[in-house]
Amino acid sequence: MQGQNQQQAYDRGITIFSPDGRLYQVEYAREAVKRGSASVGIRTPEGVVLVAERRSRSPLMERDSVEKLHKIDDHVGIASAGHVADARQLIDVARRQAQVNQLRYDETIGVETLTKAVTDHIQQYTQTGGARPFGVALLVGGIDDGEPRLFETDPSGTPYEWKAIAIGGNREEIQGHLEDEYSDELTLQGGIDLAIEAMAVGEEDGFPPEGLAISTVETESGEYRTLELDEIENRLAELDLLTEGDDE
Amino acid sequence: MMLDNTDPYEPELGAAEWREQAGDEQNVNKTGTTTIGIATDEGVLIATDRRASLGGRFVSNKQVVKVEEIHPTAAMTLVGSVGGAQSFIKSLRAEVNLYETRRGQDMSIEALATLAGNFARGGPFFAINPILGGVDEDGSHVYSIDPAGGVMKDDYTVTGSGMMVAYGLLEGEWHEDIEMDEARRLAARAVESAAERDTGSGNGLVLCEVTEEGVDITEYDGFPDEDEL
Repeated sequence: MQGQNQQQAYDRGITIFSPDGRLYQVEYAREAVKRGSASVGIRTPEGVVLVAERRSRSPLMERDSVEKLHKIDDHVGIASAGHVADARQLIDVARRQAQVNQLRYDETIGVETLTKAVTDHIQQYTQTGGARPFGVALLVGGIDDGEPRLFETDPSGTPYEWKAIAIGGNREEIQGHLEDEYSDELTLQGGIDLAIEAMAVGEEDGFPPEGLAISTVETESGEYRTLELDEIENRLAELDLLTEGDDE
Repeated sequence: MMLDNTDPYEPELGAAEWREQAGDEQNVNKTGTTTIGIATDEGVLIATDRRASLGGRFVSNKQVVKVEEIHPTAAMTLVGSVGGAQSFIKSLRAEVNLYETRRGQDMSIEALATLAGNFARGGPFFAINPILGGVDEDGSHVYSIDPAGGVMKDDYTVTGSGMMVAYGLLEGEWHEDIEMDEARRLAARAVESAAERDTGSGNGLVLCEVTEEGVDITEYDGFPDEDEL
């Protein structure tokens, strides 16, 4: 590369720092996350709540095919924001790692251990020539020995633990709402409601029931569960955030 | 392209080098051995003899210590090929340390037994049949691990060429609420009995107590009187 090209090299190559120490491709990947619809995670003493918005481009599309919440193992789920296809690769890394842990130690994998396996994988794509970083952020929620845990991964491959967090589009506003309303004593139901209300910030009309996907991992059972459409509809109606669905 | 260590049947470090070195059977040192593990409420008592031999026909070493700490609260016996058992123990110790530093907690004894069984089955370690004894928050555990990777939990177990002689005594004397002191005397007698009749066992006694405080190994030249135990 010569002349002007050379000056731009750190903008193109993932493994090259800019003169002020930044990795532009990683920062662009963070922008890709912001272009995705939002996902919210909330940790309560009764369990972890994951909520994702499912946008539909057309009323003819089956919304169930927009997969943003994923069961990883009986006790862990992941919500994504950003490139869905990139997310799928990481979801499979996580699912495999959960089973590797089971095979290797005959133990269910810890949520922190799982998160770090995924972020270590993400990190390798920020340091390998010819690779592109993952344009996706994840929320990893589950139960560790009876304790609810909630982690975030970002395109740099850094793991963070949270009480409540939003990723994806409109992240700042949603996070602001969570910061104002979060309490350490939320019930699981309260966590679901707070997550829905936070998602609705900037979406004044609310959502059709199929516009949200909601999963929980309860502390007591330690089991991942996806809420049925009528349960989501009930919550939305109760919160006065129900709009008409695609079919009507 | 990307590094992912996901084979649950292989140690994370050092496997490939060892696999090349499975030496010729004639000159491989075997422990022969009688090793005993007994679980009590206070912890696990492990006892072994001290002989290494070439096929039980020539004594190649008279002061082997066939039990080693592999975890802050677990120990394992060396049974079968000395080289296989030594590398097996080193490798498990590395795994235990990595697990603890990465996760901030010690591996449970069940996880350790599972890992040991996986390595015996799929790893580069041949002809070993150790006992694993350890203590964790669920209590005291004794496992035997066979060369094909079988992992069996028991209240008490014996492996090695002197096992039948030792079991004879244990079947008569062991009882459900056996305490550490009694287990120590019983296991020492069982190893001594095996040493009398099994050519692969002899030359002394090693006792190991595993409690929640840690692993305590005592070596004896020959077989001490009961009041010295």
